[in-house]
Amino acid sequence: MTPYLDGRHEYSRPNTRFLVFGLAMILAIGGLTTRLFYLQIVNGGQFAALSEGNRTASEAVPSARGLIYDRNGVALVKNVPTFAVKIRPVDLPEQRRDEVVARLATLLKMDPADINGAIDSNPGSRFDLVRVATDVPDATARLLAEAGDALPGVEVVIEARRQYPEGPLVSQLLGYTGPVAPDQLTDLKAKGYLPDDLLGKTGLEAYYETDLRGTYGEKTVEKDAAGRKVQDLQTVQQATSGDSLTLTIDTKEQALAQKALQWGMKAAGLKRGVVIVENPQTGEILAMVSLPTYDDNQFARGISAKDYAKLLADPNKPLINHAIQAHYPPGSTYKLVTGTGALTDHKISPTSRVSTRPYLLLGRTKFWEWNHRGWGAIPIRLGFAHSSDTFFFQLAGMLGIDRLAHWAKQYGFGARTGIDLPGEVSGIVPSNAWKQATFGEQIYPGEVYQAGIGQGYDVVTPIQLINAYAALANGGKLYQPQVVRQIVGPDGNVVQAFKPKLIRRLDVPRSTLKVMREAARNVVLVRHTYNLVDLPIVVAGKSGTAEFGTRDKQGRLPFHSWFVAFVPKNAAKTSADPSGIKAVDREDAGLVVLAFAYDSRTKGNAATEIVKYYLQLHFNIKHDYRNFNLLERGNFYQSN
Amino acid sequence: MGVIRAEPARMTDWAARSIGAAWRAFDLQLAAYAGLLATLGLVMAYTNSVEQGQTVLSGGTTFVRGLMWTGIALIAFVITTAFDYKWLKTFAWPLYLLQLGLLGLTLAIGHGVGGASRWISIGPFDFQFSELAKILMIVVLANYLGARHGNLRSLPSILGACVLVVPPWILVMLQPDLGTSLVLLAILGGMLFMSGASLRWLGAMVAIVLASLPVIWTYILRDYQKARINAFLNPATDPQGAGYQLYQSQIAVGSGGLTGTGLTNGSQNQLNFLPVQESDFVAAIYLEELGFIGAMILLILFSALVWRLLVSGWKSKDPFGMMFASGLASMILFQLFVNLGMVIGLMPITGIPLPFISHGGASLISLAVGLGIVQSINIRQTRAEW
Repeated sequence: MTPYLDGRHEYSRPNTRFLVFGLAMILAIGGLTTRLFYLQIVNGGQFAALSEGNRTASEAVPSARGLIYDRNGVALVKNVPTFAVKIRPVDLPEQRRDEVVARLATLLKMDPADINGAIDSNPGSRFDLVRVATDVPDATARLLAEAGDALPGVEVVIEARRQYPEGPLVSQLLGYTGPVAPDQLTDLKAKGYLPDDLLGKTGLEAYYETDLRGTYGEKTVEKDAAGRKVQDLQTVQQATSGDSLTLTIDTKEQALAQKALQWGMKAAGLKRGVVIVENPQTGEILAMVSLPTYDDNQFARGISAKDYAKLLADPNKPLINHAIQAHYPPGSTYKLVTGTGALTDHKISPTSRVSTRPYLLLGRTKFWEWNHRGWGAIPIRLGFAHSSDTFFFQLAGMLGIDRLAHWAKQYGFGARTGIDLPGEVSGIVPSNAWKQATFGEQIYPGEVYQAGIGQGYDVVTPIQLINAYAALANGGKLYQPQVVRQIVGPDGNVVQAFKPKLIRRLDVPRSTLKVMREAARNVVLVRHTYNLVDLPIVVAGKSGTAEFGTRDKQGRLPFHSWFVAFVPKNAAKTSADPSGIKAVDREDAGLVVLAFAYDSRTKGNAATEIVKYYLQLHFNIKHDYRNFNLLERGNFYQSN
Repeated sequence: MGVIRAEPARMTDWAARSIGAAWRAFDLQLAAYAGLLATLGLVMAYTNSVEQGQTVLSGGTTFVRGLMWTGIALIAFVITTAFDYKWLKTFAWPLYLLQLGLLGLTLAIGHGVGGASRWISIGPFDFQFSELAKILMIVVLANYLGARHGNLRSLPSILGACVLVVPPWILVMLQPDLGTSLVLLAILGGMLFMSGASLRWLGAMVAIVLASLPVIWTYILRDYQKARINAFLNPATDPQGAGYQLYQSQIAVGSGGLTGTGLTNGSQNQLNFLPVQESDFVAAIYLEELGFIGAMILLILFSALVWRLLVSGWKSKDPFGMMFASGLASMILFQLFVNLGMVIGLMPITGIPLPFISHGGASLISLAVGLGIVQSINIRQTRAEW
C-alpha cells in the first residue's frame, strides 16, 4: 500500500488504466467513424434523395372559378380577393389553444365556439390548413399577420371568394360556395380537391361545380418540416379557369316577380311564397323567386354557426327553394289533369254536360261542391271555369285512379322535371300500386274523388305545375325547365349552347288541349278570378285552393292558394277577339306565370293577385287592378 | 471521514516562477485544439444565423451570442489558468455546496421546455447551471479520489465517491435532465476507473446498475424519456413523433455525403426539419454541411483534445491533477459519443450537448473553466514544489 500522496511524492501512475482509457477512446471514435462512413459515404446518395423528397412537394394551383351572368349579361357573381384566416392545427400547441382561439376570436369579432368548431371539424390531417374566417378586413389581416408568435398556427392567406352583387334576389338560384365538409373529403380528394378548398354547396354553384371550378394546375414548391411553403420552384401544369354560365334568368323579371310576391305576402300576411315565370316555348325559366330567402353573401363571407342555426331553425325554411325543393297539394289547378284525361279517354266530349250539385254522396259521406250549390248541368269549359268540385269528382270516378295517374304523369307530375338545380323533389301521384306500396291497402273511391281535384295524396312542386301549364299553353310539348342558357369557356367560346329539351309530347290531341285552354280562359271570363278579366291583355289560367294541415274548431282547414296563368304571344286584347278565346286557341303563348301562397287564409285568392300584379309590372300596365280587400286575412272558407 | 483537507496555501508560488517557465509548461496543443473546436462552434453559430434568416451581425443572433460567450469563455480560461488549482482542494467542500446550491436554485426558479426547469435567466441570457455543476462535480470527485489515491481497493471509498454524486444526481433528475444525469454517472465511472478503484467492485456496481434498470424504467424515467428510448429502439414506429428528430437527423447527416452541402446550405436545417437545431442537434447540421471530411476533422480534433488531457493527467505529479484531467476527459469523450451517436442513430435522444459545438454559453464557459484548471495543473507541475 502506497501512503496517500498529494504531489509531495511520486505516486505510481495507473499506466494500464491510461492505456485502457485510450483504447476506449479509440473504440468510441472508431465506432462513430464507421457509422458516419456508412451514413455519408455508403448511403449518402440515398439520404440525399430522401432529403430532397423531404423538402419538395407538389401543390395545387387554384383555378379562377367561372362567373355567372343573367340572360342579358348582368354579372351575378364576382370573384373578389379577400384575406382568409386559416389555422394549421399541428402548429397550434394544445396547451395554448384556448388562449390563441380566444385572442383570435376577439380580433376577428367571432364566437370562439365557431373557431373551435372549424378546427375540430377539419376534414384533412393536422398538417392541412383549416379555414377559420373568410373576408377578413385588411386592418385585421395585417394585425394577424404581424402577431406571429402570439398566434401560433394561424396564417393569413389571400384567396378569391364569391361575391353576389344581387344578394338575396337570386340566392336560391345561385346558391353559394363553402368549405369542404369532412364526409365529402374522401370522395373529393380523388378529384383533386384540397381540404381547405371552397366548392359549390347548393344552387347552380353546386349543380355546375365541375364546369365552374375549372382545372387546378400543379406546381412544385419547397416546404419546411411543418409543411409551410418556403418558395415556388416550378409550375408543372397551368391552372385552367372555370367556364362561365349565362342563365335563362332575366334579373329584371326576377326583380319584378320578387316585388309582386313581396307585396302579396305582405298584404296577405303570408309566410312563404313562390313565383315562377317560364317561357312555355322553350322551357327557359325567366324568374324563380322563393320567399323567404337568405343572402348568399353571408355564406360566401363565412357564416357564423349562430346565423346558420338561425336560418336552419326558421320554420319557413329560407334555405329551401320552395319552387323545386318542396311539394304541396295542388288543389284545383290539378283539374287540368282530370279534364284532359277524361276528354282524351273519351269519358266525356267537349260538349257533354255533367250535372253539378251541392254535394255528391258516396256511401254516407257527402262530397261538397265548394259553393254548396253547384251550377246545374254544364260542359267542361264551364265546369273548369267555375272550378266545380262535383264536376271533377265525377270525372275522376269515370277515369279511375290509375288512368288519372297516367295523365298526371303525362303532364310531368310524380317525376322530377330535371331542372338544372339541385335538390328537386318529385311530388306524389297516387295510384293503386302507390297506395299498396305505401300503405299496404287499396285506394278508396273517396280518395279517387279527392285526387281528381288535387287534394288528398296529390302533391306537386311549383315547377311541375308551371311546366304542366306550359305544355298546355304550347300545344302539348312538355319541356324540361332550364335555368342555364349557355356555358362559356374562359376564352369566350360557347362550350354548350342552349337547346330546348323535350321531355315528351303529351299523348293528347291538340284539339283537346285547345278545349282546355279555352276553359282556362273561361276561368278568367266568368270572373272566377274577379277583375283579372279587366286587364288590357288576354290572360288564361287556373286558380287552386288546397287544404292542408289540421281542422280548426269549426272544422275548417287552413289552405294554400295557387294561380297559374299563361299569356298569348300578342297579349293585347283586340276588337276582333274581345273574349280572347281566339288568342288562347293559338299555341304561341310567350309567358307562363305561377304564384303559390302558402297558408293563405284570405278572402280571395292571394296567388291570383300576385300573378296579376306581376303581369301589370311585366306589361307595364298603368292602371292598378289589385284587389286589396281580397287579401284581408281571416279564417275564410275555402273558395277554390 | 475527514474529507476537508486544508492544504497550506502557497501564495508566493505564482510570483516565484518565471513567466517563461510557466509558458513552457502550458499545453499549447491542448489550448489550440480547444480553440479550433470553439471556432468550429462559432462557424456553426454563423451558419445557423444565416439559415434562420437573421442579419448575422445584429444583436441577439445565435452568432453574436456565440461570439460573446466565446469571449467570456476565453476570459474564464485565462483566469482559471492563472489561478492556483490547489485552492480548489482547499475549498472542495464549499464548492460542493455551491454545486448543490446552483442545482437547487435551478429547480426553484429555472424554466425550460415543457415544464422542465433547466435554465436560469440572467438578464437577457439563459444560463444552464447544470453545465457548471458538472465541472464542480469533477473538482469534488478529483479532490476526494485524489486524496484516497491508492486506497481504493476498499468498498467504502468507492461508495463514498458514489454517495457524493447522489445529491446532485437527484437534483438533476428532478429538473428533469436525463442527459446531465448520465454525464454525472459517466464522470463518476471514468474517474473511479482512473483512480485505480478495484475492478471487482466496479464490475459489481455496474451489474447492480444493470439489474436495477427495470426499476429506473418504471419509477424514474418520465414518459417522454421512455418514448425517446422506444423511438431509438424502434425508429419506424413513429417517424412523425418521438422518432422524428432521430430520423430527420440521420437524413441530414446522410445527405451530407463526402464533402457536405456547404456551409449555410443545409436544407434540412434551413427548412426546420430538425426541430431543435439550435442546441443538441447542431452536430447534424455540421455533418450535413461539412460532410464526412468535416466529420473526420471534428473527430480528430476531439481525439487530440482528449489525448492531450490524458497526457496532462499522466504528467501530473499530483493525483488531484490526474483525477481532474481524467474526469474532464471522461466528460468530453462521453458527451461527444452520446451526442454524435444520437445524431447518427447510434444512441437514443438525450439532451446532451456536443462540447464546443452546441450553442450554449454555460457549456462553453464550463469547458473553458475545466481546461483552465488543467492548464493550471500543467504549469504547476514542472518544478517540485516542496
